[in-house]
Amino acid sequence: MTAIPGISSNDPAFEAAVTEWLIESRMPLPAGLLLRLEVVDTVSQLDDPREVFLQGDVEIRAGEPLGWVHISWRTAPARARIEEHRPEAVLQVSREALGELDYLLRSFLLVSLIFLWKRDGRYHVHAGTAIDSRGRGWMLIGNSRSGKSTTTALLASRGWRVSTDDIAFLEARDDRVDVLGFRSPIALRPGGFQLLGRAGGIAMESRAKTGFWPEELGSSWIQTVVPEIIVFTSVAGDRTTMSPASPAAVMRELMQWSLWVMFEPTAAQEHLDLLARLGRQARCYHATLAPDLFAAPRALEDFLP
Amino acid sequence: MSEPRYRRHADIRLTSLEGEGVVLHLKERRYFSVNETGLVLLEALKQPRSFGDLVAELLREYEVTEETAAATTREFLDQCLASAVVETME
Repeated sequence: MTAIPGISSNDPAFEAAVTEWLIESRMPLPAGLLLRLEVVDTVSQLDDPREVFLQGDVEIRAGEPLGWVHISWRTAPARARIEEHRPEAVLQVSREALGELDYLLRSFLLVSLIFLWKRDGRYHVHAGTAIDSRGRGWMLIGNSRSGKSTTTALLASRGWRVSTDDIAFLEARDDRVDVLGFRSPIALRPGGFQLLGRAGGIAMESRAKTGFWPEELGSSWIQTVVPEIIVFTSVAGDRTTMSPASPAAVMRELMQWSLWVMFEPTAAQEHLDLLARLGRQARCYHATLAPDLFAAPRALEDFLP
Repeated sequence: MSEPRYRRHADIRLTSLEGEGVVLHLKERRYFSVNETGLVLLEALKQPRSFGDLVAELLREYEVTEETAAATTREFLDQCLASAVVETME
């Protein structure tokens, strides 16, 4: 088994699964990472008076008065303690939770890692990213039903290079903002799968989705995109439209989809400044996406105002 | 008695995009935008400032009367004090 320095566990099979998932993601791990994965019969309880924020079925307690971040999972017993300023965490995972391994990785472990990456200057945002035929970086931002994945799959099928359909990380690079993609299959709901009109794909039964690697769609995967165009997406009607977003709307949207900025003082100013810099760096639009996008010869490019 | 001094609350983070200020209140996990004048005042309030200091800041930045600057400052300061964005120093 390939080991990742800094990751350890009392359960070799769980460590191997986490290692494989992280290697497949191609995300650079935080410098100085110390991640202890403890498989236990009983997950210990921690006294924590802080207000709970719920993201899916992941509970997050962060900020004062304790400093460290406390993450727990509602699907099955699992919890994480992430240190305040260091990329160090101890995760306790019950055997029951291991029974839902794919979902455990994608929800509980991913949220835990989002806080670890934050301690290394990488800030998560719900976004898809791709590079068009002219070499311009695009970023699609919105919720899980806003057409990001379907559009990313369409762009991949048109030869755009694709980084991610949903899991992206902002990183300061000189005077610009780079966006790193977490490599995973582009996951389509039945409606998106039907619109794409491709056979094959990976059946993701627990998510009721079909996954495609960019290469299966005739594209190639790229880790880093420098966004020049940002599109805040939603799905509505029969016609795709795109209109410029005001600076206030841009910041509101970026904050909403990179909401970890609000959780703890650690790196909050850097994260906030990075969002503003991203807003300055790119031209920003609101888009309503509709099935006619699939008939447009240059896809999103045809709808730029 | 000396004039009270004010400053930004420690839980506040501030940034700007094309003249729009974005204020993040970490303790309350909320954010809101402020206009350019509000941005100037909140930037100044990084350090302790009296009401008079803030009025002078607006007079330096904008061509307005002292009366207008004072009214704008009072209104903004009251809103910030009420929403725990700014605190009065002991």
